Amino acid sequence: MGGHERNYPRRIEKIMSENFKPVTLNFGPQHPAAHGVLRLLVQLEGEVVNKAEPHIGLLHRGTEKLIEQKTYTQAIPYFDRLDYVSPMCQEHAFAIAVEDLLNIQAPKRAQYIRVMFAEVTRILNHLLNIPAFAMDIGAATPMLWAFEEREKMLEFHEAVSGARFHAAYFRPGGVHQDLPDGLLEKMKVYFENFPKFVDTLEELLTENRIFKQRSVDIGILNKEDAVRLSCSGPVLRASGVAWDLRKSQPYDVYDKVNFSIPVGKTGDTYDRYLVRMEEMRESVKIILQCINQIPKGAVMIEDNKITPPKRSEMKNSMEAIIHHFKLFTEGYRVPEGITYRSVEAPKGEFGVVLVSDGSSKPYRCKLRAPGFPHLQALHFLSQGHQLADLPSILGSLDIVFGEIDR
Amino acid sequence: MSSSLLQKYSVGNFHFPIRSGVDNILVNKESILEVVQKVKEDDELLYEQLVDITATDNILSKTAYSNERYTLIYTFLSLKFNKRLFVFTNISEEDLNTDSITQIFEAADWYERECYDLFGIKFKNHPNLQRLMNDYNFQGHPLRKDFPLTGYEEVRYDENLKKVVYEPVSLKQEFRDFDNESPWEGMKETIQEELKK
Repeated sequence: MGGHERNYPRRIEKIMSENFKPVTLNFGPQHPAAHGVLRLLVQLEGEVVNKAEPHIGLLHRGTEKLIEQKTYTQAIPYFDRLDYVSPMCQEHAFAIAVEDLLNIQAPKRAQYIRVMFAEVTRILNHLLNIPAFAMDIGAATPMLWAFEEREKMLEFHEAVSGARFHAAYFRPGGVHQDLPDGLLEKMKVYFENFPKFVDTLEELLTENRIFKQRSVDIGILNKEDAVRLSCSGPVLRASGVAWDLRKSQPYDVYDKVNFSIPVGKTGDTYDRYLVRMEEMRESVKIILQCINQIPKGAVMIEDNKITPPKRSEMKNSMEAIIHHFKLFTEGYRVPEGITYRSVEAPKGEFGVVLVSDGSSKPYRCKLRAPGFPHLQALHFLSQGHQLADLPSILGSLDIVFGEIDR
Repeated sequence: MSSSLLQKYSVGNFHFPIRSGVDNILVNKESILEVVQKVKEDDELLYEQLVDITATDNILSKTAYSNERYTLIYTFLSLKFNKRLFVFTNISEEDLNTDSITQIFEAADWYERECYDLFGIKFKNHPNLQRLMNDYNFQGHPLRKDFPLTGYEEVRYDENLKKVVYEPVSLKQEFRDFDNESPWEGMKETIQEELKK
């Protein structure tokens, strides 16, 4: 398939005849294959999708408005609740955006911890998306298998932050706490064995006849279209564009670890699945490298105008108490400026446009969610496909409404 | 700036520090279509991907970085040159119309709808300028700074009427908005004067 020529083998171009009348179907907002609260107005010609118009906003909580009313510290937990399957990656974007405006850098150890846990989060995300996608097209077992592994990985989340999902762990200036004793060893043992699990998962799906029949050549997105439709992350890479922000615009210590970028060929839903599978293996490599390289030292910058003092210090020092009080009431002031920082979240480019007017609250905080343009592309992807292919396409786009509706 | 071509359209600098080394230009809203076209197709620029469109409401800003009420922020990405570009354009309160760039970047569709929904900026020639985030019959534009955080209406399901009803917001307790800004900073001038004496 070359150039701009569009060749969709599985698409049915025209079946309209006088006997057919288009039917409009209301898919969702409560539908198990809608991956949340998606209302989809599907115009059908027979069984073929003519038009799929997503209606979003059913989970709109006004996060951006709320963040404007809170101090920078209080804004962090909102990022966990955007894409609730990959919380830490989003905190990461906010943390580096604020660090950018404050003109500070997290200590090396904190950067390694962040990269390590961003990758754990990536695996967690893919381990939800892949089996959910498989379930949409008929395979129930991967879900049960993956959730067991997810639970084990969530224990690592819990060990560092105290919470399984809503961690609020990455803070501007570093991470909240140092790793507990023995965690690195546990993680090392676990992640050295993890690729075996990916293998078994792959045995179930990759060459599975039913799985392939439902996903190969469905929802093809070629290079040009993927770029044009603002796709990012696995969706863009499955279309053959080797673009990964961890490589092209490295943040924290991504430039110090070796990993490769899996790239797809045709850009169909099957390729997106394969790319995610490979990404998990690459993530494991990054985590193991981080475990080996991680230096000793502080995990938070020691500037008490920005980060709170140690609890033990507060027992003895008046100044520490004042700092603590000021930080948790007024917060810290961020110099005026505007910045855009993005991270390679598991779903694609997650970015934060942060405008500060010099006060202790963000003046404007726009959250650029990767799923937003992906869902917008749904109409383009599903046109000409059968209705039964719609869940397959939707599943392969990795849609989570927390981030799209914000 | 990677191209002097863009300088032609620039109407001065954006009076605001822009971090992280992103290229940026401030343009008139009349020339936005031309600029965006150029940005996308010029061989030296090739910002072929639209990353984001957003806006700010400048009415409460402590730093006067714009004389107009709204600023639209377009973010572009060039995959080839690995660069980003901000395009700023100011929208005045009196004339909320601006050109839609959906002709050039298809992906702008929802971003512009979102800006319309949350800020009330109207995009001319947009194929389907409807609310995106808020309810179908929602009134107002929530991300404007004069829109209260608690909103005006609340929604609940009425068991007797067997339907969802809209009612004015009633809070059991007034919304508390603490002003925690340190008063010491504001005393700087007074302190300086005291010191002079």
